[in-house]
Amino acid sequence: MDSVLLMPAATLVVVLLYAPFVYTCFLSLFEYHGVGAMKFTGLGQYAAFFTSTSFSSIVENTLLWVVGTLILPVGLGLLAAVLTFGMWGSRFVRLVLLVPYGMSGVAIGVLWGFILEPGGALNQALHFFHLPGGATSFLEYAPLSTVLMIMAATWQGLGVNMLLFAVGLQSIPAEPLEAAKVDGAEGFTLFRLVTWPLLRPITVIVVGLAIVNGLKTFDIVWTLTQGGPGLASATLAVSMYQTTFLAQEYGQGAAIAVLLTVLASAAALIYLRRQIAPPKGA
Amino acid sequence: MAKYVRAIIVTGLTVLWLAPVYLLVVNAIGPPNALSLSHLWIPPSSFHLFSNLSSAWHTSGFGAPNVVNTLVYSLLAPAIAVLFAALAGFAIVVLRVRFAAGWFVLIFGATIFPLQILAVPLFLGYGRTHLYDTRLGMMAIYVAVAVPFAMFVMRNFFGVIARAVYEAAVLDGASVPRIFFRIYVPMSWSALVAVFVLQFTFVWNDLFLGLSLSTATGAQGVTPALFGLTSSYGGASYPVVLAAALGVTLPTVLVFLFAQRFFAVALALGD
Repeated sequence: MDSVLLMPAATLVVVLLYAPFVYTCFLSLFEYHGVGAMKFTGLGQYAAFFTSTSFSSIVENTLLWVVGTLILPVGLGLLAAVLTFGMWGSRFVRLVLLVPYGMSGVAIGVLWGFILEPGGALNQALHFFHLPGGATSFLEYAPLSTVLMIMAATWQGLGVNMLLFAVGLQSIPAEPLEAAKVDGAEGFTLFRLVTWPLLRPITVIVVGLAIVNGLKTFDIVWTLTQGGPGLASATLAVSMYQTTFLAQEYGQGAAIAVLLTVLASAAALIYLRRQIAPPKGA
Repeated sequence: MAKYVRAIIVTGLTVLWLAPVYLLVVNAIGPPNALSLSHLWIPPSSFHLFSNLSSAWHTSGFGAPNVVNTLVYSLLAPAIAVLFAALAGFAIVVLRVRFAAGWFVLIFGATIFPLQILAVPLFLGYGRTHLYDTRLGMMAIYVAVAVPFAMFVMRNFFGVIARAVYEAAVLDGASVPRIFFRIYVPMSWSALVAVFVLQFTFVWNDLFLGLSLSTATGAQGVTPALFGLTSSYGGASYPVVLAAALGVTLPTVLVFLFAQRFFAVALALGD
């Protein structure tokens, strides 16, 4: 009888999340344009995507987003957490670094569009200092556009990774650090041999989340370039949206969504395995 | 030596992070004409923030209806999701219903779905059930998307409350609803608020579902509407769009900064 309490949550999840998931998998086996009959094509929609001219650039961009997200927001987030740990004024610095995380991807896109547009703030700054790039249209060249959009995403996401690592640093017991210092370890050696291994639990989560979010990149790209010019800066999620809602290739859009889901769930297993493990105290 | 390197890196990061905020503010208050756009780094001599905001406000597909939509979604959907999630978490970890582990995996498993896997069936299904471009349809999907992670956090939080609390309440003859609302909910405010704040920012900032399932002149919230404003750059000038971006994004930035403490709770519980 108590399982009645589960019904609102379970019903919503089954009807609005699981059923669409199953239907998308089903739809990915058909050619369908929203009107008319659905035509069974087997794995044809997947094949059409794999052989499309933009496939290689979409994969490259998505990979670049995953690797870039691991190196920049995660790497710099760790650096910021370590450097500001116990530092004078660290509260202010962390607040500044955290502000963009509260902003929407669209607002970030608008602001960085203003910075990166031809004649925008970056062009003007480079021109002022007589540096090269004062007249470059940054967003028109791939993969430069993707690299710059990763910078925008770094500006947004660094803060939260720093916060997570800071929580991790605080939870490290003092004894191993003291012991290592007594043994003469300091600076980078101390970090590499003692702090880093002890940060491992939080690192697994941060890295897992970064890979998943890198794979799902949509908002910033859609606001800044809409995947263009052409599909030169498109990611998997961007091309899914374009294929579905602009080209009205529902079957192929579904196939791209299935691929994205497979990749994202494989990456999510990295941290979910840890999270699902024994419920504490229950 | 190491001290100076550290100070230089931290100062550099801080300046780099402040620069875009500076550009946003300075240009959102600047005059909306194109001539002044040649000096983007220089603060304007006059204050045009409110006239810029009102220009944005009067563009079609961006304005009061979108703000109302966003307020409804971002306040109501997370509240409903937190309630449903708390009930589910309570049933699983406190009441220990039959097949508790199965229910848990069913609900939590849905966290792995990217929004893209839901979009096509929801778009087609909403079209057929007349939920497309309605507040009810948007609310339903925002609640559903929020439930799995919210249930996970609440189940972890309820799990660390001593079992003796529940057993004592049962011995005293308290009913299940009473145990839930009078004992477990009051003990869990910090977790409930944490989950609410996380989902509030998610819903407020959502672009993908808003674009897929609603239109700017209908049920769309402010974030997708702001995107709509950018695609009409011909009409709306940068200062106007930046003022709109500032206005639209400020609430979540403030809520997020004030709720950092709660945010850390959610993260610790998610671990």
